[in-house]
Amino acid sequence: MDPQKARCTGVEKGARAMAAVPRLSLRCGLLVAMAAWVPTPAFSAPLDEPIQPIPLSLKQDPARAEIGRSLFHDPRLSINNRVSCASCHDLKKGGADGRDHSLGMDGKPTDVNTPTVLNSAFNFRQFWNGRSPSLEDQVDHVVRNPTEMGSKWDEIIRRVAGDPKYKSAFAAAYKDGVTQVNIQSALATYERTLITPNARFDKYLRGDVNAISAAEKAGYAKFKQYGCVACHQGVNVGGNMFQKFGIMGDYFGKRGNPTEADLGRYLVTRVEADRHVFKVPSLRNVALTAPYFHDASAKTLEDAVDVMFRYQLGRVASKEDKEAIVRFLHTLTGELDAKP
Amino acid sequence: MKLLGRPPAWLAMSLAAAVLVSMLVFFYARTQRNDALNYVEHVAMLRHLKQLDAQWELDVLKSKIGLNAHYDPLAGSLVEMIALLNGIESDLGAEQHGQVAGVAEGVAALRRAIDEKAALVERFKSNNAVLRNSLAFLPTAEQDVRQSLGRLGVHESAAAERMSENVNKLLLASMLYSQSASDEHAADIQSGLRELDTDKLLLRPETMDRLDIFGAHVRTVLREQRGVNELLGLISAVPTAARVEEIQNVLSAEQQRVADLSRQYLGYLLVFSALLLGLFLYAAARLIRSHAVINRVNKKLHSANETLEQRVEERTQELRQVQSDLLATARQAGMAEIATNVLHNVGNVLNSVNVSAGLVGASVRSSKILGLTRAVQMLNEHADDLASFMTLDTKGKMLPGYLTQLSQVLLAEQQSILNELTSMTKSVDHIKEIIATQQAYAGTASLMEPARIEELVEDALRMNAVALARHQVTVEKEFAPVPVLPLDKGRILQILVNLIGNAKQAMEVATDRTHRLTLSVGMVRGHTLRVAVADTGVGIPPENLVRVFAHGFTTKEDGHGFGLHSAAVAAREMGGALTAHSNGPGTGAVFVLELPAGAAQKTEETT
Repeated sequence: MDPQKARCTGVEKGARAMAAVPRLSLRCGLLVAMAAWVPTPAFSAPLDEPIQPIPLSLKQDPARAEIGRSLFHDPRLSINNRVSCASCHDLKKGGADGRDHSLGMDGKPTDVNTPTVLNSAFNFRQFWNGRSPSLEDQVDHVVRNPTEMGSKWDEIIRRVAGDPKYKSAFAAAYKDGVTQVNIQSALATYERTLITPNARFDKYLRGDVNAISAAEKAGYAKFKQYGCVACHQGVNVGGNMFQKFGIMGDYFGKRGNPTEADLGRYLVTRVEADRHVFKVPSLRNVALTAPYFHDASAKTLEDAVDVMFRYQLGRVASKEDKEAIVRFLHTLTGELDAKP
Repeated sequence: MKLLGRPPAWLAMSLAAAVLVSMLVFFYARTQRNDALNYVEHVAMLRHLKQLDAQWELDVLKSKIGLNAHYDPLAGSLVEMIALLNGIESDLGAEQHGQVAGVAEGVAALRRAIDEKAALVERFKSNNAVLRNSLAFLPTAEQDVRQSLGRLGVHESAAAERMSENVNKLLLASMLYSQSASDEHAADIQSGLRELDTDKLLLRPETMDRLDIFGAHVRTVLREQRGVNELLGLISAVPTAARVEEIQNVLSAEQQRVADLSRQYLGYLLVFSALLLGLFLYAAARLIRSHAVINRVNKKLHSANETLEQRVEERTQELRQVQSDLLATARQAGMAEIATNVLHNVGNVLNSVNVSAGLVGASVRSSKILGLTRAVQMLNEHADDLASFMTLDTKGKMLPGYLTQLSQVLLAEQQSILNELTSMTKSVDHIKEIIATQQAYAGTASLMEPARIEELVEDALRMNAVALARHQVTVEKEFAPVPVLPLDKGRILQILVNLIGNAKQAMEVATDRTHRLTLSVGMVRGHTLRVAVADTGVGIPPENLVRVFAHGFTTKEDGHGFGLHSAAVAAREMGGALTAHSNGPGTGAVFVLELPAGAAQKTEETT
């Protein structure tokens, strides 16, 4: 999306909110000026909770999203035509593949457990270590990763431009046809349609008090009470901050077998404080995306909750409380509206 | 002079106008181009960026004190700011073409500042989440420890009491430290933790675990609080707002420069506009002036024209008057001429009448009628012896002879008288005829009536007959057949009488030759009646051939110059023409009268 457009839509959101302000058809620049004194409203959820419901749609360009859908399932993006995005991000398996480590184009395992593609639009950064600031950029990392797709942009553009269907679709959706930027844009556009609104918990947040059971509500209370919500909050129930894995205990020492990937964000910043720091993952659809953590060390939600209590919260909790929390976590499974 | 001077003046003016207009267009284009800076839009974007930055910082503080339930706003602000920054950069990069060098650097510096701030905010989020969790948990942890201590045996109660007090103090110190992270509180916490570490060895494992948890969280608070405070300081120290202001300053300086330039251009525009206006006004003034001059001249010309027309009209009127006067005069003159002719002819005829009367008188007076009377007396005296007398008497014997002779003389005498009387009757008839002719023509203005031209010619000849006879003029007539035509008899007769008179006079002067007058009549070119009067007179020198018809031209001592003029005028009035031909002095002259006769062609009668 071009920046001008992005700016305008962002501002218009604010402009729409001011019902009292007469609708002025002005240039974007003036809208921006107006937005300077119009307070940007917070999400208008009925319950002022740390967790916010997923919007029903992110309103993406359908033509571009359609191209992105084809590309997402197209193995030609990998150098040997063996894996597509969907190979690891199986939409039927919660946007991941259920393996501890996905297998790349040569069948070699990847460094970390595959995070789900679902709701990745709401993550503030992409990848476990947050090395990519946007979905578009994330595409670049994956297709060029020697383990994952091992391709080159020249080759990808050649293959995509050589397909008449892609060529005409790109020509229709983009001014400059098949380019690296447009391929990235199409994939990112498609990924922005892969959101899962209408989780039972979101319905509850939107005011349907019977959408979740009393036990689940109790689980949510525990979730907040024990401080899980300190990191797993916002629309994506996580995905908006970094956190050190093992802040209240030495997780990696206890686990053993340290790998390079365990260094986390340190690999990106080379700052000592970022050692073992990872993006807090989203808990949306968490019930569908086992195994858990970057090293896939937790095979079940219960295991994962245990680890979190131990190393992140530094607290002990009763079995019942943990079960309640797991029950709550199941209410975060939403509906995928997009075509798989 | 004026015609030569004008084009360069206009050329110069149009040239000047063209130059001025192109200057105006040039400067206008320049001012337009400078507007493309979109200064207002960029300033608005920068202000929005600054606003977002302030909001970001505010959200950080709100998160710090727990007013923000989640961290989405912190991530969202950054995304918006980066998008805005990219927008500004691509806008300025596309528009300025490096014109404003400071902006690119300013934007880069701002981007660095934002990145720096973003990194700090990320750390803040992590630290703050942990800090707040530990702080929130501390009272519970302390309670857990005290509960566990409360279940201790009596012998342990003194230590437990001290421990409980210590834990409580630590909790308080931690809370205070979270409010104001002073070194003093930090030292308190540190010493409290040390005490706990030494005392906990006395405790049961279960209590020890709880104490460890409590201690871990206190340490976490101690560590994270310091970190958070540091980060907050660093975050507010990141000069994002200053960077924005720098860009704004660069932009506003540039805008100022552009505005000055624009003002300058506007000044030029104004000056050139004024010059152009002046030029136009000058041109307009010139135009108006020349227009006025043209108008004035036009008006003058118009009035002159009118006067001229009026004068021409007057003159024409006068001429017409003179013409008609002349015509009348000519007519009267012509009529007078005819009258003179008539009188002349009448006089001549009267002369013959007189002569005849005298001859008759003389004849009667010297009549031999007395001899007859004496013979008769003798006869009467000898009535009784008439026979003897006749035979015997000498006288008587001579009487029959005498009587015979006498009768012969008387017969001759009677014959002579009869002759004279016939002549006289003829002359009287002639006079009557002349007068009748005169009466027939006099006073007829312009009356077209069917007539035979031969008769008119004969009339004219008759009017001049006596004079012609006196001058021994031989008259020849060459009459071709001519139909009856509608003719103005008066005018034609006037012309013919005049021409015959002129011919007679011309021949009268030329005494050295025989006088012959030839009158010819015929149709020429089918529809023109031609009457020619040729004489063997003195002729006309070539230089006079044209002038003979001029008013007042005459060669006669007693002439008034009316005759031929009025004849020509009359011919023209009838739609015809009168022309003169002569081969020079002494060769005679021919006057030809031509009249249109087209309308009369239908009457196909011939003579």
